[in-house]
Amino acid sequence: MANDTKKRYGFVIDVSRCIDCRACMVACSVENTVPYNHTRIWVHDQGVQGDWPNLKRTFVPYNCMHCDNPPCTEVCVSGATYKNKDNGLVLVDQEACIGCGFCAEACPYDVRYIDEQRGVVDKCNGCFQRVETGMMPACVQTCVGGSRLFGDFNDPESTVSKALSSASSAIRLDAKRQDGNSTGPNIYYIHAPAEMLNLVTTDKFGQMEGKVPEASEYTLSEEVWKKLIIPVIGLATVATFGVQAVFFTKQLVEGEKEFEE
Amino acid sequence: MSATNTLSVAEQKSLRAKMYKKHNLANILTHWFNVLSWLMLLPTGVAIIASPRLGITPLWIQEWFRNMFGGTANLITFHYTVGFVWIFILMFNVFVGWRRYFIPFAANRMIMDKDDMQWMMIKPLQMLGLRKGEPLPPQDAYNAGQKVYSYFVVLGTAGIMVSGPVMVLKEYFPPIIKQIAQPVHFLSVFMIVAWLFIHVYMGAIFPEEKEAFFSMFTGKVSAWYAKNHHAKWYWQKMQEEMDWEDEVSQKVAAEASASHDGAAAD
Repeated sequence: MANDTKKRYGFVIDVSRCIDCRACMVACSVENTVPYNHTRIWVHDQGVQGDWPNLKRTFVPYNCMHCDNPPCTEVCVSGATYKNKDNGLVLVDQEACIGCGFCAEACPYDVRYIDEQRGVVDKCNGCFQRVETGMMPACVQTCVGGSRLFGDFNDPESTVSKALSSASSAIRLDAKRQDGNSTGPNIYYIHAPAEMLNLVTTDKFGQMEGKVPEASEYTLSEEVWKKLIIPVIGLATVATFGVQAVFFTKQLVEGEKEFEE
Repeated sequence: MSATNTLSVAEQKSLRAKMYKKHNLANILTHWFNVLSWLMLLPTGVAIIASPRLGITPLWIQEWFRNMFGGTANLITFHYTVGFVWIFILMFNVFVGWRRYFIPFAANRMIMDKDDMQWMMIKPLQMLGLRKGEPLPPQDAYNAGQKVYSYFVVLGTAGIMVSGPVMVLKEYFPPIIKQIAQPVHFLSVFMIVAWLFIHVYMGAIFPEEKEAFFSMFTGKVSAWYAKNHHAKWYWQKMQEEMDWEDEVSQKVAAEASASHDGAAAD
């Protein structure tokens, strides 16, 4: 598990306790003044499964996974989105963000949205403004069923570490990155039914459709960058310096006579 | 070897003493303003590019500039503030001096002719050591290489000035436009910077072109330099001078004959 941050904030979500009341979604929108047409947090309904009378229905809440190896921060041209080295949260510096949306395209969980009014990208920030003052994130504090837990995975005494170690089962929704590594999401789902494992192997994840568990793909612009523009820039730079080096050496060797006409 | 070597000492001396005006004050000031802006904009701009996927800027440069300016947002704010000042003043100069400086500059200094095309075919190969013996066609006030570069600069400057504000005025443009603006911005800058090395080297370092460097302060070059490096321009200047001489001598002759006629009439 690659992580070099001091703290590693993340969520533990007890899937068996979620009743799809969506209070977390409301609390999040209120706390963070999320525009009406967007949300930073979702509850995925897996639908009724099984044959009658053995029916099951599972709700999977999710938001930004604050990955250990986030694909989104890598594509940000200016470094406006980054993984905080102190607390491990993936944050967006909206003063630096220009809202080009490369990161929103790179995210395998589709948890980023573009705030059209401000022209910037926004996402779950782990309610950093609350966590700093010792409070829990809005979604965790409001969760009626006690399904959502938040804390530092690097601290063995934290609620999340304890919940994780005492849980009978725990899974993560890993997405494979282009380089073959896992994104290393920091949301652990405990007491998840076997059906939820389908999320890892199929692409039935609501808004995430087609994204999980596929490897994050290069967008067209990235392909153009990597395979065309960067090599051309490299070649041109080398050629420019090469010509100058030849020119300069010739001048040194032959003196200045070539240029006296 | 060539014609200049056979000139007498007195002739060479007079050529060296005679100065021609190559740049006017507007061009000189705009040039140095541009230099100053680029010195601020290029390093900060390069330092902003952080994506390891693009792999352009080394990490230590990114961190150095972010520490110096106090974070990514401040670095970007500095970059685009200077950028807007650059756009405003440069455009102000261009549009205020449109008829007096810009159009004459484009018409007299930028248009390429047959000699320039030939120069472009020979010179790059000569720099690589081919076609050694061939003489280069005479050049204007700017040689063909400089003329081609001027097109790159004009195009690149336009590209930067369009794509830059698109990224700063983020509320007003959809994401796809801002995505396209980035490579446009980088390529425009690259189009200029790739040849900027040659421009600076030839202008400030290369010993033969020393006069060109000082002419960017004084605006003047010697006739000796003009004759050797910009023959076509030199002969044009000579033509102008001879025309002027003819004109004056005709006037003098006309006046002399008029007064002579008057004297005769008395």
